[in-house]
Amino acid sequence: MLLSKLREALICVQAGRVTLPYPYAPHDPPPGFRGKLALDADRCIGCGGCAAVCPSGVILIRDDKPMVRTLHFALARCTYCGRCSDVCPEGALSHTLQFETATNTIDDLVMTIDVFMGPCQRCGRCFPPPTAMDQLPIRGFRMDSECCRVGADMPAPDAAATWAAAHSAPPGGVRTLTP
Amino acid sequence: MIATAAAETATLLRSRLGAGVLGAREMDPDLLWASVDRSCVREATTVMKEIGSRYLVTVGIDERPLGGGYGIVHLFSLDAEHLFIAVDCPVSAGDPRIDSITPLIPGASWAEREFRDMIGVEPEGHPDPKRLVLPDDWPEGVHPLRRDVAYNYRPPSVEGFAPELVKPPRGSSVLPVGPFFPVLEEPARFRLFVEGETVVGCDYRGFYNHRGIEKLGDSVLTWDRIPFLAERICGICGFIHSTCYCQAVEKAADIEVPRRAAYIRTVMLELERIHSHLLWLGIAGHILGFDTVLMQTWRIREPVMWLTEEISGNRKTYGMNLVGGVRRDITDAQLPRILDVLKTVEKEALAVRKAIADDSTLHARTVGVGPLSTWWAKEICAVGPPARASNVLIDARIDHPYAAYDDLKPRLCSSDGCDVWARVIVRLDELEDSIRLVREALANLPAGAVRAEFDEIPGGRVGVSAVEAPRGEAIHFVMTGGENRPYRWRVRAPTFPNLQAVPAMIRGQSIADVPISIGSLDPCFSCTERMETVSVADGSRRIYTLQELQALAQSARARRGNGDGGAP
Repeated sequence: MLLSKLREALICVQAGRVTLPYPYAPHDPPPGFRGKLALDADRCIGCGGCAAVCPSGVILIRDDKPMVRTLHFALARCTYCGRCSDVCPEGALSHTLQFETATNTIDDLVMTIDVFMGPCQRCGRCFPPPTAMDQLPIRGFRMDSECCRVGADMPAPDAAATWAAAHSAPPGGVRTLTP
Repeated sequence: MIATAAAETATLLRSRLGAGVLGAREMDPDLLWASVDRSCVREATTVMKEIGSRYLVTVGIDERPLGGGYGIVHLFSLDAEHLFIAVDCPVSAGDPRIDSITPLIPGASWAEREFRDMIGVEPEGHPDPKRLVLPDDWPEGVHPLRRDVAYNYRPPSVEGFAPELVKPPRGSSVLPVGPFFPVLEEPARFRLFVEGETVVGCDYRGFYNHRGIEKLGDSVLTWDRIPFLAERICGICGFIHSTCYCQAVEKAADIEVPRRAAYIRTVMLELERIHSHLLWLGIAGHILGFDTVLMQTWRIREPVMWLTEEISGNRKTYGMNLVGGVRRDITDAQLPRILDVLKTVEKEALAVRKAIADDSTLHARTVGVGPLSTWWAKEICAVGPPARASNVLIDARIDHPYAAYDDLKPRLCSSDGCDVWARVIVRLDELEDSIRLVREALANLPAGAVRAEFDEIPGGRVGVSAVEAPRGEAIHFVMTGGENRPYRWRVRAPTFPNLQAVPAMIRGQSIADVPISIGSLDPCFSCTERMETVSVADGSRRIYTLQELQALAQSARARRGNGDGGAP
């Protein structure tokens, strides 16, 4: 009995203080950590692979304007699985080491980009470059309709503003509307 | 050998049931699918018991869109032959009734109440036919897992409903515990029937934590999205559920997982067992008021969490599994670090084990407490450490080898103590064995790819997979559908059968021993309750329920001794 208590005390004493000084000192996660998503808008080709694989429906794609595809990221839903960055053929999506994402403003967790898509010479509709299509082994990659989403609870972007922005964008270029 | 066992079982069923057997075929090398007429279900269950197979769970399937009625599939495991047996009883849609098998197998009680709620097939002759999963104010006749109920269906709110409660035995008082279980901080409501300090019975109402996971799986998500949802069934053994789901799909679709992926899964599964057992030991200490154990085991556990964060990118929801393999490889550069952490954990866990082994305070609180006899553990179909501590020699890693457990043989850690202390010892033994298994897996890590590509998965196939979670055996059943997602995905978490053993474990015990008795199962209420479509537990309703609970407890107390008896 006593021996047992002594052993238990010894374990505690040997361990010493183990509490980390976080948040007074930074605590860096290891490399490879899947933190807050970062999007390099210049690389995105609008193929939609990310939206097709996202388990929690973070990414919504809309083709409601000619020649422009809108990608909407509702990061508050993100579960940090990293499937989007896995399948992105252009490396436009990556996970940062940032894990302190708590915020009072939901807009901090929203990203929207408009991607200019080369229109088809025959029908005039958008299409992603065929090379990127070839890189995507995923079928049914488009997720155009809002009703496909689990709980469509996102604000609708101002259609007029995005329309104007799209038409002022240089052909082949990408324009970021909100961070 | 497997084929022989399946064929023998099929022949036996045919000879006993005659024309009652509508068909029997091997769906998989380890799955016998026997369709029997619903009038023969009890006879088929008797045959299953006679050949020594163990009841796992029942899956209710709405097969009306496929041109049938409802399918009630009782799953059994013939452990010695590594064989799953599915006894499928088609039930016509116009007359949704089937004989209950609970009188033969007490452990089938909850599963039958579940399909009564979710599919709407009435188990006739069930001793306790009341709601298990659906909330008390859920409308009659709406069965969420029927295909014609939308995944986002929300029932209108109802006033003036009352939960179906068990009457306390004559002369006893009711002690409400919950709806928030005070020790484990999870939603569960026990009503203890007590005489003085002694518990004479209990009533359980849980399933407050439904998240509609199975419904999402067969209506919204796709094959490769579900592993991430499956991982969130449990906050402790998430990787077990994603592995179990992936294996069920891989079996159904004949996808061969690369050996390296199988080994990596094994490593992650065992790392999960290591940290889960350390976590449980801490919780057990905490329940007993021995917080030194909590602090020290959780300190020892933390490096394992950091290690899994380095390997997978996240400390708990690893996100490693996909159908066909894993997403991240374990590199050679990581090996020394893993071995280093294992060495420290082994040394420190051994020190804790040595320290608490003779602790008379711990013995006084655990030896002889929460008894679960071998006989009842088998009858109620208990799994995992609680079963093994009652000398029921089952372990899914041995009974149904998966991942790399065909190469790496785990040791079956058991005890005949049948009490809480025995469960501590079994888990400590398993912890040591897990460390050995990780080392062996890393030493023999085969080279090659970590993921197999797959094409289209055809519909109408079935896969059953068992994975030994730290708290017991998890079962996933997948029936494939044609729309890039399962037609039916059934999850049985290990706490589902184990919680049914609670009434027997706490009967005759003192009130103070109830928390550790329940805690010794390592119960995970959230895992067990993964099933419903919509939670109606908004704030106002929760308050109402609490008042209802208090009012009922008071009225029960007022009625005490007035002859409103009736055994629970």
